[in-house]
Formats: sequence, C-alpha cells, structure tokens
Amino acid sequence: MAAHVVRKADLKKFINAVKKKNTFLGPVSRKGDVTLAVVGLDDELVLSYSNFKLPPKTLLFPKNELISTYDDNGMVEVLPSEGEVVIFGIRPCDVLSLLHLDKVFLDEEFVDPYYQERRRNAVVVALACTEPMKTCYCTSVGGSPAGEEGADVLAFDLQDALLFEGCSEKGRAFMKTYADYLQKPTKADLASRNKISSEAPKKITPINVTGLTDKLEEHFESSLWEESAQPCLGCGVCTFTCPTCHCFGLHDEQYGQRGIRMRVHESCMFPSYSLEASGHNPRNANWERMRHRIMHKFHSTVRNFGDIFCVGCGRCIANCPVNLDIRETVAEVLHE
Amino acid sequence: MSNVVVNPYLPKPVIVEKIYIENEAKDLKTFRLSFCNEEDKSSFHYLCGQFAMLSVPGAGESPIGIASSPLDPDYLEFTVKRYPTGVVTTALHGMEEGSRIGVRGPFGNCFPLDEMEGRNVVIIGGGFAMTTLRSTIRYMLNDQNRGRFKNITVVYGARSPGELLYKNELKEWEDRDDMDTYITVDKGDENWKGRVGFVPTVLRQVAPSSENATVLVCGPPIMLKFTMLPLLELGFKPESIITSLERRMSCGIGKCGRCAVGSEYVCKNGPVFSYQRISELSEKLL
Repeated sequence: MAAHVVRKADLKKFINAVKKKNTFLGPVSRKGDVTLAVVGLDDELVLSYSNFKLPPKTLLFPKNELISTYDDNGMVEVLPSEGEVVIFGIRPCDVLSLLHLDKVFLDEEFVDPYYQERRRNAVVVALACTEPMKTCYCTSVGGSPAGEEGADVLAFDLQDALLFEGCSEKGRAFMKTYADYLQKPTKADLASRNKISSEAPKKITPINVTGLTDKLEEHFESSLWEESAQPCLGCGVCTFTCPTCHCFGLHDEQYGQRGIRMRVHESCMFPSYSLEASGHNPRNANWERMRHRIMHKFHSTVRNFGDIFCVGCGRCIANCPVNLDIRETVAEVLHE
Repeated sequence: MSNVVVNPYLPKPVIVEKIYIENEAKDLKTFRLSFCNEEDKSSFHYLCGQFAMLSVPGAGESPIGIASSPLDPDYLEFTVKRYPTGVVTTALHGMEEGSRIGVRGPFGNCFPLDEMEGRNVVIIGGGFAMTTLRSTIRYMLNDQNRGRFKNITVVYGARSPGELLYKNELKEWEDRDDMDTYITVDKGDENWKGRVGFVPTVLRQVAPSSENATVLVCGPPIMLKFTMLPLLELGFKPESIITSLERRMSCGIGKCGRCAVGSEYVCKNGPVFSYQRISELSEKLL
C-alpha cells in the first residue's frame, strides 16, 4: 500500500479505531517526559519529542518479566498474553535495535519464547526524525533519520498530517485494515515528506567507525581503557538506556511453598554481573567492564552477527552522569 | 515463526536419588538425579563435556558440568562444590535424597571424542575440575568404546588425599591394565603412600608422548597456566590441547551475556575450547 495520510484533525478517530482492535502505544506525556505508553482516553499524542528517554526494548524484553511459576508440582511457563500491540512513534534508530535484538533472541538454535511472542504481536509504526539531537549519529552506524529498515510502517510528521508508508507485509496489512481512515497524499504532502528525509540526515554529525572492530582487537591491552574509564562511576545507566543491551539475570521469589521466576535486566557494568560463587571475577575492575561493553558493541557482535550493536541513539552520552562520550572513546581507539 | 517452541528456560523436574559426599571438607557432593518424566529422560541426549543448569526453585540456577557418562543408564550425575557465598550450591548441599529439583540442558559443546578416535588420549585434571573429565573417562572405558582409543593416560591431582574426587573409580583406573593412571596430591598425610607433587611437575615426570595424541586438561586457572608450558614442551600442538572454561551464567543459551569471553560465549561456543582458540582471543586467559 502506497503512502497515505491522516490529517491531524482526524487523527483521534484513526487512533480510536486502532484502539478498538489492539493495544495502542504512542508518545504521550508522563511525569514531564514524552514516553511510549498505552494511549488513554484523555491522552493527546505528543509529536514534539526528539526521542524517548528509555529505549523500546522494554516493550519486547521487559525490565522485570515473570517467566514461570512453581510449586510442589513443578514449574510452569508463563508466556506473554498481551495480544497484538501497535507501537507508534519509535524512531528509526531504535527500530534498528529491534533487528539486532532479533538476532539474539530469535536465534534459531534457541528461540526465546517470551521475546518471540511479543515480537510476533508487535506492529512497529516508526516515526521519522525531523530534528536529530546533538548526540545522534545513526547515519554512521547503518541508520538514517527516515530509515525504514525493520519498520512495519514508517510515518512522517507533516505538521498538519501524518503520512504513513507500509514497509513490511505486516505493515501493509495494518494500513489496509484502516484504509477507511487513510487518504491519498497531496503533492505538497509528498514534497514535505521528501524534505524531511533529505534534510534530517544533514543535521547529524557523523562519527568514524571504519576499521574499529579490528582496532579494538588490536588494542585490547592498551592503557587507553584504564585512562578513559577513570571518571566512570559504574552506574550502568549507559546499559539500561541502550536499545541493544540485552543482558539479564534470572531471579526467584519464594512465597512459602510456591514462587515465581523473573527475568530482570542486568548490566555488564556491575561487578556482581560476572562475579562467580568462588569469588573470582573475570572483569573485576571498572575499566575492564567498560572495555567489555565497548568491545561487545563494536567487536563481538560484529564477529557473531555481522552487526555493530550500536544504533547511534546517543542515550549513553545524554544520560551519563560524568559526561562520558562513547564517540570520544571510539575516536581514541581509532587514533591509538 | 512457528507456534511450537520448546521453552529453553523451563527446567525438567528431577529427583535427587543419591547424594555422595566426595571429600573430607564435605563441600563437594555428587548428586545422582533421575528424571520424573519418561519423555524428559528420553529427550535429554548429552555428550561428554557438556553442562546443564541445575535449577533449585527459590534459590536459582547454576551451570554445572555433567559428571556421568552418556552411557550411564537412567541417571545424571553432577559434582557440586559448595561456596559459602554461592546461593544455589548452598541450597543444593542442603538437600536430602528424594528432593525434587530441575535440570535445563544439556548445553554447550563437547570434547572432540570423534576426532580423538584412533589417537592416544592424555587426561589431566586438577581438584574438582575432574567432573566432565570423569564423564569422558567413563565413556571411553565402556566396553563398546575402549577399542576406539589408543593409550589412555590420566594425571589427576588434588590439594590433599581427602580432596580427591571419585576415590573408588580412581582405584579402578589404577588397577586397569589398559590405561595409565597417575594420582598425585600437593601435600600428603600420614596415610598417603602415593605420589606427592603438583600436576605440572608430575606431568613432566610422566612425560606422555605427544605423538598422535590429544590432551584434555581441566583444572583451576593457576594449574592450567602452569600445565600449558610442559605440554607445549612435550610437543603437544595448541589445537590438540583441549580445555573447558567456566563463567557465571544465567541463561546457558547465549542470550544473557554473562559468560562472554572475548567474542565467545562460554555457554554456547564452549565450554570446551582448544588452547589454540583461547590463545587467539583478545582476552588473555592463560
């Protein structure tokens, strides 16, 4: 289905129609931030955000997730039962992160049933960026402000309208379902769509990652790691806000004779993450953990999946309490 | 995407049939487990060197090497060291026979037994890292398998006589004339009449031929480190020196990220690695 538009005045009708059939998540105002959340009756969509503070991974791989329950009779799996969820407003960089997570969680040898169930039920309606942030560098790591890769539908905010393009079979089917609410775009609509896709990338300051994977291997023992990690507090905000970080732990909660098993996000920046029962910790120092985090994103995942597991969203830069900047670390490695 | 997915996070229920205290310090116990369900038993196919997650509801899960042989009928065995700070190992050690726990797996790769066919095999173990090596020795000594391998040499050491694992089996191995077994302790006691000396030293004395030979070596990091030099001096090629790594794990299936060593996941790409592969990793392990 080719590009179609919904005038802003008709947006509520369209959303209500979607909400009748599916859970609908979109950008709404919560506690002073624009957050991706279930759109309530009184919610207005807020389209003035650059990106969400937290990455969308939590929609498919929640921070805390019940995976099974147990009692004297054994353990029973608890699979997600949310049904089809339409997610509107994910930025193209974050959409790419979902493709990276797919490689981990939908790996043929061991499919993760929890992720798979949510992924299968998710319709991703991405929203192209018009105003990238100073911390953005998606164009250097395989993305683009108006990139459609991984999206089911790609939307453009044309000020007076939203323009939708079906990018996958699932996305085209979604648009067909709601064809009654969609109109053919005018020439002006298409012109303004094209302006976004051509102008937005120019607002991004690119970084250089050429040869980075080999350089990282070469300079694993370099003193730069200890030096550049010196200010790091080991708070882990870079990993929790990273759209591709997917480390987790499994934790049991016991209530008398029964209990639950939870999957909980973890961070390789925490010493306890790799600490073994014997007391041995293969990544004992903070700088070793930071090196591991960078190596994982720009080396290990390239070797294992052929992809840099960084989408250039800039969250680790924007949220770091001591202003560590992954772009600088990358540049230091390349200059070594 | 298919609808039918085997949930790799769901442990299979097992009964703790027998518990054997292995050492004087009583912090090493072997747990003999049997599956509660016939279909779980028949679908659990494992190879020497693989591990499984032992799942104790309420405490959590730990990755433990499988110590029984794939040819042992009806049961699985795991030898577990209890650490005071180890939640799962402490819970396991507190269990009684007849308790019910869970097993997830088998996971990881295995020792290259197919490639070892027709070759001499040297097995070097230290302390309680003897578990998957014991699985391998039991497997190779099985009547249907012994002929597939040439000379089998075992060098096994522990801190003290009381810390040697599988004492009855060690005796059997020493008595067999189709293998050479060298047991050693770092420090003897008044009853110990056997060898005294560190594993690398004994290895030098035994000096097994590297001709057409593969060596499987498992032990604490410090022992591994000091065993590599004599092995290389004896002429063993880095690709014929095989070891097994351990790391903290949550999932066992290459997702949770914990066990990463360089670009490898110990759970999925290992736990068995050749010395060759380990030397290639950016992270210096040995």
